[in-house]
Amino acid sequence: MPKNPINIVVLLRETCDPRPPVRLTADGYDVRERGLRRLANPADLCALEQALCLAETHEGTVTAVVIGPQRLEDHLRLALSMGVQRCIRVWDSAFIGGDNISDARLVERLMEILQPDYFLTGNRLLDSGADPVPLLASAKLGIPYVTAALKVESIDGKVEVLRKCDRGARQLVGTSTPCTLLFAEGCCEARYPDQAMLMAALAKGIETWGTAELGLPYSELGGYGAVLGKECCSFPRSNPQRLVTPDAKLPAFDRILALLSGGIKPREGKLHALSAQQTADQLFKIFQGEGMFSGSEK
Amino acid sequence: MMFENLFSPQKLGKVEIKNRISFQPHLTNFAENALPSERHMYYWGERAKGGAGLITTEEMSVHPTDTAYEKLVEAFHPEVIPGFRKITDYVHQYDTKMFCQLNHNGQQCDGSISRLPVWAPSPVPDILFRETPKAMEIEDIEEVCRYFAISAEHVRQGGFDGIELQFGHSSLARQFLSPLTNHRQDEFGGSLENRMRAPLMFIAAVRKAVGNDYTLGIRMCADEMIPGGLDLAQVQEICGLFEASGMIDFVDLSIATFYNLYLVEGSMHTPLGYTIPLAAGIREKVELPVFCTGRINDPVMAEKVLAAGQADMIGMCRALICDPFLPKKAQEGRLEDIRYCIACNQGCIGRMGINRSLGCVQNPAVGLEKKWGEGTLLPAPVKKKVLVVGGGPGGMWAAKMAGRRGHDVTLFDRSDSLGGQVLTAMKGSGRDEFGVIARNEKEQVDKAGVKVELETEVTAEAILNSGADAVIVATGSQPKAHPVGGADGPGVCNVWQVLNQQVEVGEKVCLIDYDGHHRATATAEYLADQGKTVHIICSSLFIGAELGPTQDLYLTRQRLLQKGVSFTPDIAVMEVSGEIGEKTIKGFNVYNNVWDEWSGYDSVVLAMGQEVDDDLYFALKGKVKELHRIGDCVAPRKVDMAIWEGHEVGRTI
Repeated sequence: MPKNPINIVVLLRETCDPRPPVRLTADGYDVRERGLRRLANPADLCALEQALCLAETHEGTVTAVVIGPQRLEDHLRLALSMGVQRCIRVWDSAFIGGDNISDARLVERLMEILQPDYFLTGNRLLDSGADPVPLLASAKLGIPYVTAALKVESIDGKVEVLRKCDRGARQLVGTSTPCTLLFAEGCCEARYPDQAMLMAALAKGIETWGTAELGLPYSELGGYGAVLGKECCSFPRSNPQRLVTPDAKLPAFDRILALLSGGIKPREGKLHALSAQQTADQLFKIFQGEGMFSGSEK
Repeated sequence: MMFENLFSPQKLGKVEIKNRISFQPHLTNFAENALPSERHMYYWGERAKGGAGLITTEEMSVHPTDTAYEKLVEAFHPEVIPGFRKITDYVHQYDTKMFCQLNHNGQQCDGSISRLPVWAPSPVPDILFRETPKAMEIEDIEEVCRYFAISAEHVRQGGFDGIELQFGHSSLARQFLSPLTNHRQDEFGGSLENRMRAPLMFIAAVRKAVGNDYTLGIRMCADEMIPGGLDLAQVQEICGLFEASGMIDFVDLSIATFYNLYLVEGSMHTPLGYTIPLAAGIREKVELPVFCTGRINDPVMAEKVLAAGQADMIGMCRALICDPFLPKKAQEGRLEDIRYCIACNQGCIGRMGINRSLGCVQNPAVGLEKKWGEGTLLPAPVKKKVLVVGGGPGGMWAAKMAGRRGHDVTLFDRSDSLGGQVLTAMKGSGRDEFGVIARNEKEQVDKAGVKVELETEVTAEAILNSGADAVIVATGSQPKAHPVGGADGPGVCNVWQVLNQQVEVGEKVCLIDYDGHHRATATAEYLADQGKTVHIICSSLFIGAELGPTQDLYLTRQRLLQKGVSFTPDIAVMEVSGEIGEKTIKGFNVYNNVWDEWSGYDSVVLAMGQEVDDDLYFALKGKVKELHRIGDCVAPRKVDMAIWEGHEVGRTI
């Protein structure tokens, strides 16, 4: 009996450069979108590379999925140029305002429709860390999942995954398909598509799915499906007020001079909560006591 | 609340600290037989009582080859656990968390204490210890890892809330990280990845020993400030990588190394908060809580640093040695009661440098908290009428302590302000903070109910007629004359006269320094600042011979040279002669006895030390019921002894 080609689905997510300090929207309910440096989540690209290798070894097909607005098609073009066979962008304005539960419902539905043998994505998001959505979706469907995966091998229908465990130790775990694998960032290097592949990717079609294709009611999606009430955002900690740090390129001696002449120079002194007249009197007494007025010396 | 940020809680790993004030690790020399002592317990307990949110112990040695100082606690011995438990139980009753600092000093060790070779990444001697170390073999590195783990286990069993690994200015880990001290060609040297290998092994060993839920952090050197060493950009990268390892919970910071120790423990001439730019630089790059330490002696400044997001925790070390109750006073808004540290470095670092137990010029109770700590001052059984003559630091302390105990105290001073010689000393260049000693105490003297009589010349007769039960004489000292020919001639004056602007000083000045302390150098600098040409002649090997232990020597000499001051050491001055403009100094070299002379000066300034002003004491001796003599009028010394004696007599009178 001819073997069915394995069906691999890779979820690509958008993330932001986490280094610039966060800025909030005026209403304080969200993070400001302007000026963010967006990029494909590096761990997801590692998952994509693993998917492509797996498909090449076992004659499978790889489908890349993104959930988000049109700009995310850039990630799908990249995936196409790397060798993905099918690309789907899922988006509807109804998805806005969701929490992990409602987002997981979306991913669960995608998995139900696409029926992947392997559902692959990154273990962590570059900006916000762990993302429980793929795990919640897998758990809901009763599909086993492996986190922090480094390498996957499929031998006679058995799946062996090398994963990171406590304090970086390596652990080999066995599972079966269908399964969800979350790959650690840096587990492999995503391939670099050549010019011809890039050009070819531009010509390929990208499927666009909305709520109709998913067959989900609005009540389960986005803000309606969320179980968490959305409260105000606040800064994780105050953004540091930039101070001039000694230029690392300066010779050490100049750095010392910079520090010694910098820092907070004026005396901080004591706080006196007094009226203006009392303050003036106090100051006068202090200065006089310290002999700073001529004539106060004996 | 006045200090909203300073008194907000902060999580370090799983531990929540009640406020942002951390009493930072520092040597105490309180250890007995390499074990923690009762002095430790009361010392740290006092700071916990004073409201510090976190206390981190002094460095605890993790290996027998780590003998930087004679009196380090050796955490690798299981015998330390009962002592640790006593300390942590005592501290925890004040809701203060306590971390233990573990360290191996590497090349910054003294093999003559342990009689073992010093271990380091490469055979590069430290500039201070000057001992060529043994380059560690892989087995040695593994052994240190094991000892780190053993020590960590003892710390955990000792009841500490967390561990700080010293990777800062004095540590084996920094020596591995820095290209300056790590010249290895193997997997522990060369690339940053290789240089980080051993420190990561130390962290991993400790993390494994204490488990994932225990708080573990590192103290990094933010910038070694030496050519070829680590700079801020590299340390930012290293901290980022340590953070990425997921094994640490916070980053504490220090600065510099023993090449520039004056930056590690910045003295009065160093700007307040001089390390804030470095802490802010690290905090920009890591998410973990970052500490900032370095001359932050004031809650107002601490609050500003936190509000500006330049650090998450404020490390206070000398500020809390000087006033253990600074946090409590700040929280209660009693800023006028805070005894501000002046970074004179005489009682703390100065005493450490000569292997004495920790002290503080302004706080005689340091290390003696059991006897003199908060709550030990008892009301006087018999209320006495006490007269204190002399409003210098000694007299102020005597009056304050006696007043607090309920005595009827009157404090006399002949000048128009309390402070004594401190008011003169603070006029030297860069010594203005010295005046804070007087400012700190003036308010306390008032609060103790002491009657202050200024501009009053007290005579023996007046005292005898006053009916006083006890008299404390604190009349101080005055500059000593130089008993050589011409030292009382025209154009000759002393440093006090210069600083008090009592004499006209010419443009070309020769300063004769037999003192070796700030009295001479700060006056020379004061004159140089006025554009005068200053030459210093001294009898010691070098100018500022007393300034080494307080970390003032390097910068003082640097500033003097920049200001054009010239030096001639090794000279015993035997004669001062000539008229103004032609003043000539004759003397001989104390080593080869060759005579020389220096001429053409407008003024000669003498810094010969002090002599007692004890006339009043001897006029009263045997004539009053109870007579005490304290401070410089007993023997001219430094301000710490005046305060010590004033405090002691005020407690016991």
